[in-house]
Amino acid sequence: MILISCQDEEEEKVQEKFFSNPDYETSGLDFTNTLKETRDQNILDYLYFYNGGGVSIGDINNDGLPDIYFTGNQVKNKLFLNKGNLQFEDITEKAGVAGNSTWNTGTTMADVNGDGLLDIYVSAVVGVNGFRGHNELFINNGDLSFTESSAEYGLDMDTYSSQAAFFDLENDGDLDVYILNHAVHTNESFGPASIRNNRVYESGDKLLLNENGKFIDISEEAGIYGGANSYGLGITTADFNNDGYTDIYIGNDFHEDDYYYINNGDGAFSENLKQFFGHTSRFSMGNDAADVNNDGFMDLITLDMLPEDENVLKSSAGDDNVNLDRFRIEKLGYHPQYTRNMLQMNKGGNYFSETALMSGVAATDWSWGPLFADYDQDGKQDLFISNGIPKRPNDLDYVKYTSNEQIQNKLDKTTLVDNDVLDKMPSGAVTNYIFKGEGDGNFDNRSAEWIKNDSIISTGVAYGDLDGDGDLDIVTNNINQRASIYINDYAEGDHLKIRLKSDSNNTFGIGSKAILYTSEGKQARQLYTTKAYQSSSEPILHFGFKNSAQLDSLIVIWPNSKTQTLLKPEKNKTLVLKEKDAKDSADYSRLFKSNNTKGFKKLESDFGITYEHEENRYNDFDMQKLIPHQMSDLGPSVKVADINNDGKEDIIFGASRFKPVEIFIQQNGNFKKQDFPEIARDSLAEDQSIAIADFNADGKQDLFFASGGGESVGRNEWLLDRLYLGNNSSFKKDSLLPKIYNNSAVIRTADYDNDGDQDILVGSNSQNYDYGAIPKSYLLQNNNGKFKIVQEDLFDELGMINDLIFTDIDGDKDLDILAVGEWMSPVILENSSGKYSVNKNLIKNKKLNGLWQKVTAADIDHDGDMDYLLGNWGLNTKLNASEENPMRMYYKDFDNNGLTETLLATEKNGNYYFPYGLDEMASQLSQMLRKRFTKYKDFAGKKIDEIMTKEELDSARLLEVHTLASGYLENTGSGFSFREFSRELQSAPIRAMLSYDFNNDGKNEVLIGGNYFGVTPYHGRFDALGGSLMLNENKILDSDQIQLNLSQKSVKDFSIIQIDNKSYLIITINNSKIEIYEFDF
Amino acid sequence: MNSIFKIKSITVLVLALSIFSCNQKEEKIVVTADDFHSANDNVSKTMVHDIFSPPVASRVYAYSNIAAYEVMAQFDENYKSLAGQLNNLEEAPAPESDLIIPEAAAIVAFYDISTGLVFSEDRIGIKRDSLFNKWKNIDENAFKVSEAYGKRVATHIKDWMKQDNYAETRTMPKFSIHTDNESRWQPTPPSYMDGIEPHWMKIRPFVIDSANQFKPAPPPEFSMEEGSKFHNELMEVYNIREKIAANEENSEEMAIAKFWDCNPYVSILRGHLMFATKKITPGGHWMGIVKIACKKDNADFNKSVYAYSKTAIAIADGFISCWDEKYRSNLVRPETLINKYVDENWSSVLQTPPFPEYTSGHSVISGAAAIALTDIFGDGFAFEDDTEVDYGLPIRNFESFNAASREAANSRLYGGIHYRSAIEVGLVQGKGLGNFVVNKLEMAKKTQETKVASK
Repeated sequence: MILISCQDEEEEKVQEKFFSNPDYETSGLDFTNTLKETRDQNILDYLYFYNGGGVSIGDINNDGLPDIYFTGNQVKNKLFLNKGNLQFEDITEKAGVAGNSTWNTGTTMADVNGDGLLDIYVSAVVGVNGFRGHNELFINNGDLSFTESSAEYGLDMDTYSSQAAFFDLENDGDLDVYILNHAVHTNESFGPASIRNNRVYESGDKLLLNENGKFIDISEEAGIYGGANSYGLGITTADFNNDGYTDIYIGNDFHEDDYYYINNGDGAFSENLKQFFGHTSRFSMGNDAADVNNDGFMDLITLDMLPEDENVLKSSAGDDNVNLDRFRIEKLGYHPQYTRNMLQMNKGGNYFSETALMSGVAATDWSWGPLFADYDQDGKQDLFISNGIPKRPNDLDYVKYTSNEQIQNKLDKTTLVDNDVLDKMPSGAVTNYIFKGEGDGNFDNRSAEWIKNDSIISTGVAYGDLDGDGDLDIVTNNINQRASIYINDYAEGDHLKIRLKSDSNNTFGIGSKAILYTSEGKQARQLYTTKAYQSSSEPILHFGFKNSAQLDSLIVIWPNSKTQTLLKPEKNKTLVLKEKDAKDSADYSRLFKSNNTKGFKKLESDFGITYEHEENRYNDFDMQKLIPHQMSDLGPSVKVADINNDGKEDIIFGASRFKPVEIFIQQNGNFKKQDFPEIARDSLAEDQSIAIADFNADGKQDLFFASGGGESVGRNEWLLDRLYLGNNSSFKKDSLLPKIYNNSAVIRTADYDNDGDQDILVGSNSQNYDYGAIPKSYLLQNNNGKFKIVQEDLFDELGMINDLIFTDIDGDKDLDILAVGEWMSPVILENSSGKYSVNKNLIKNKKLNGLWQKVTAADIDHDGDMDYLLGNWGLNTKLNASEENPMRMYYKDFDNNGLTETLLATEKNGNYYFPYGLDEMASQLSQMLRKRFTKYKDFAGKKIDEIMTKEELDSARLLEVHTLASGYLENTGSGFSFREFSRELQSAPIRAMLSYDFNNDGKNEVLIGGNYFGVTPYHGRFDALGGSLMLNENKILDSDQIQLNLSQKSVKDFSIIQIDNKSYLIITINNSKIEIYEFDF
Repeated sequence: MNSIFKIKSITVLVLALSIFSCNQKEEKIVVTADDFHSANDNVSKTMVHDIFSPPVASRVYAYSNIAAYEVMAQFDENYKSLAGQLNNLEEAPAPESDLIIPEAAAIVAFYDISTGLVFSEDRIGIKRDSLFNKWKNIDENAFKVSEAYGKRVATHIKDWMKQDNYAETRTMPKFSIHTDNESRWQPTPPSYMDGIEPHWMKIRPFVIDSANQFKPAPPPEFSMEEGSKFHNELMEVYNIREKIAANEENSEEMAIAKFWDCNPYVSILRGHLMFATKKITPGGHWMGIVKIACKKDNADFNKSVYAYSKTAIAIADGFISCWDEKYRSNLVRPETLINKYVDENWSSVLQTPPFPEYTSGHSVISGAAAIALTDIFGDGFAFEDDTEVDYGLPIRNFESFNAASREAANSRLYGGIHYRSAIEVGLVQGKGLGNFVVNKLEMAKKTQETKVASK
């Protein structure tokens, strides 16, 4: 009985999906992209054999009902006329749009000839594997028939096309076109990135200008790359920088960078991916743009093939090893690319901040087409992703073990077709994904609830209001299965649908923008139809909003900048707006830019402070392959102080290994680098932190350097901290300092014992070649210039300290210590009469272990007591941690070879997994792992205690992290409670914070920065933090509001320096020149 | 004194056991040289599956065969134990029963070592278990005592093997490729793998006293100037490839290059499709030649064990010597330079293996192996090499081991993966090392030389 009722419930659930899928017998949509391996056409001979077909939705007969067109790779294309009530009629034959090419790919509907009727442009791959034909342009005759006219228009390309996007590149009232091609090139060498400069006819992308109905190739003069490496699979057109001109984002598969073309407005483009994007997807497939966080700027998603499922993940070829990744970037000139979907949040057109991991959309397996739209009509953009592949050709068992026997003897015959070979590859037929947008860049995976979970392979995908009920339905083109329609049954909110009519030849107003102001906030849309993957969606602007939302006004901006404003538009209507009714001219800066010009301004002049930090080449992962991050690249250090007692601030920079400390002395508003041979001699040390004080009370400033870095081990003299005593105009190294061979990270000085001299506290972050061991920190008590290590027991065990401060935490007028570090909770050391002891009661959160990077004291809630801001690893990472399911690290010499290893583990669906693939893990624990797992599939999906034995794990030291979020310890009067920072401050590790009154309001603000690159390709690169100014705990000014862009910079420190009575901000950045800013708020 | 005691105790045991086992078995366990060939073949096949790199594979062959040899030498006075002859190897435990079938014990020892060293124990186990079960069914008792002894010797060998620094080298740093010096090795297409075994010179050698004992002359000075020796050698590689292409890839050079490819893992990328072709290593190819020579020579079990062991030792030391030089000179591969300076679309006939160029590993170890085999079977020993038939390649004929080694060396030049100096100097390096090994090792006792030759 119970069983039966359970089943009933189960069935009910199935029926209650958000989207229903009427079958083809009901709908008449009988289209299957059937693939048959033949002698010439198979995955061995054509790398994109499994890339599938596209779908276009558009109303070809202007009856208000959007029609559907599918492309078939080997089968003929089909056009279905929407008869209403979700009934479709196959009119391919009489319409004459079946196509004549051997291998069709993308489809896009656009009114190419400007007669008000949607035409169809079909791309084709021609010239390889016996593929014949050319791209076809089916001009709509207006009577449900079409005439193939590509030659007449100059659009009969016989190249390797995957898709075309029509848009008005000069805003002159007609549609131009970008033809996306993909290389098929089998040269196995990457070649330098500059290959893209050499135009190749078949594979190079093309830009064509519409000149009175003739399309003229302007690729070269317009600055479009067309090289042998351009594996173009994704194209999105959008006005990313809101300057009124359409920009282009191209997704390239494999090692070739994606391209970001900014429209210069003069007919040419500037490709500038590297400046605007920190990193991109590696195997870039389809992409789409939409304003995800309703800030008026189009954000971008690019898809890749990272599996979510542990079994698939660990049995598929994954990330490159770290050396190859760096080789490709540093030697060959490619931009960082990682295997996962990337969500690029547009920061005011200034740069993109990539947050897919934090947003929850990074891993959707072998993905083709992303499609943003407000499916549930709550005012927030949702996301549908089509995915799947018939065979997974990157299955590691197949690659390493199966393929050999299967392919060995057949290799020489390039026309290999052998189903036995293919059958050994596992299937990649997985369910599509759908995410509910939360309006702030976060997405919630609703695949289980909203769509039927099947095992179809969907490639092309498009939306349209098929049933005319106002919400958006979805159609996918599937491989070897009938096309799917997803009918939106449960969109709860209201909508507004807009069709645009222009008297120009761009009759559908492609490139127009709309901004809807409601009581719930504003939303922006741009009308571009070529989207997702090889597909185009219905040419409408669709807004969704909650039933409770009041519509205030709608502004539509046409490509020629003419605008019209509708006050209080009626809900749940389809508006038809005409360009001729648009009278006003758009003021883009008013509509989209904040008019705030106050903030930071980077100076060209450096006042003679010429310091440039150069990180020496060293790869910590060559030695310890499984540690979470490097230790050798944490510099540079900096200190601003008056070294020579002339009343002017000087500045000291600590350098990487092999480089000397650099000291700049201020004279007459300028700086002069001064050499101190006694200090320069010790250039082999990496200077992690600097302190300046008159330690021996002789009236001269002394310098103390903390030596560290990840490279020196054991009793290496370059691990010894160094004290240089001021001696007239030079310095002399003090030889009496206790010798402590530790990897120092931070120094602070204070007179903690109230005896009138400066004592020194040194925090250490790790033991080199032995990450996970607790390094020794130490307190040096100054007794008349002689230093003594005190309270060794306490400081030896402090933890892996990254930062610490002296501060009066308990308000008893002495200096306590707050120390932060990795795999530990912030620690408060209470000072009682010059003796420290750990106070565990003040911090109320009992489980607050983090990967803490930085601590800064500031009364951030302005309530009169001191709060403490804590920089952590951030949430934009594959790692995860919580109180319930802490991130773990097992530390032990697992293989008994005298060197310790660390094994990270994080929770997923209630189980713990290692983040490493078999090869990576075996690179450190070769003998153990290779013997235990001789097949990848045996390793894949295994929990940590199925990979290591219980004894091995139990005997290891377990370190934990409970949160990766940055935040602050709020002083509640009776203690401290941890509060997380808001989302925009979690996009990367926070490693620099400065509390300072930037706006002269008598209260300190906190400038926050970070980013970090010293991780393996598994993690990617943490480069999304642009820098923020926190005014108070609730008010944060993002980078574009303070004219700062620190994305892609691994920021180490902020310092204020007074030059000629004016304060400047100095930013020190790892492996980069310092930057100097003036500021005005 | 010791040996007298040993003989006495064995006699007692033998008496006791022979009484016990009287009349129980008619059939006897017969072990042939073919069983030993088959065991080596089994290891080769398993290592192909497991994708063992050439140096690591050479170590497996050496220790496995030495274990068999140390068993065999306890029973056959014509052979002298390697204890005291190989670095740090001590005397094997003496047999304690005359029921032991020496050949069976030798194969047990062989498998005990090799099974421990390969990854896929299930794969190697299929043939092994079927052989052992056969013996067990014939004479369980005899098998069990043989097995026990074989395992004791194997344990003795393992204890010695553990000290060779192999485990330590597993976790030593990867080879750092970050340099602007263009003469220095860089990862090569298509997989751009890390340089393999950058610490192999730290493995304890078997006979030579240190990895650099046969340190070759340095490679020609790096120069991209036309007319320099280095540049000439680079262009020679390029021109040979052009010539092969002009002959529509049907030339003798092409055939030679392919025959001696011996690359355990050639990865092929076609878009997202990746696959691999796998072959035996250079050492594995020479193990195949040992088998061919033994068969042609009608070598008995013991001589076969001797031949495998000596050749495997020469090869293993050859790899240590060669790798010492590879990561000393760290020379860039021709493909890297040709792609950069001559033709960005150029690719070598053979896939460039993932380690520095100089000297050529195949040249060094082929030189060493040929010397060892000539020492055993004599010069002018012609043979038909069908080792690569299983891997889709034809048979090739050679008039001598040395002739085969010369061709193996040349194959690297034809294959576009080595410059001429690396193969010529490599061959000299290997032969010098081979001669040292055969001169130093006393295995087949001189007086018995003719007697052991054949049956």
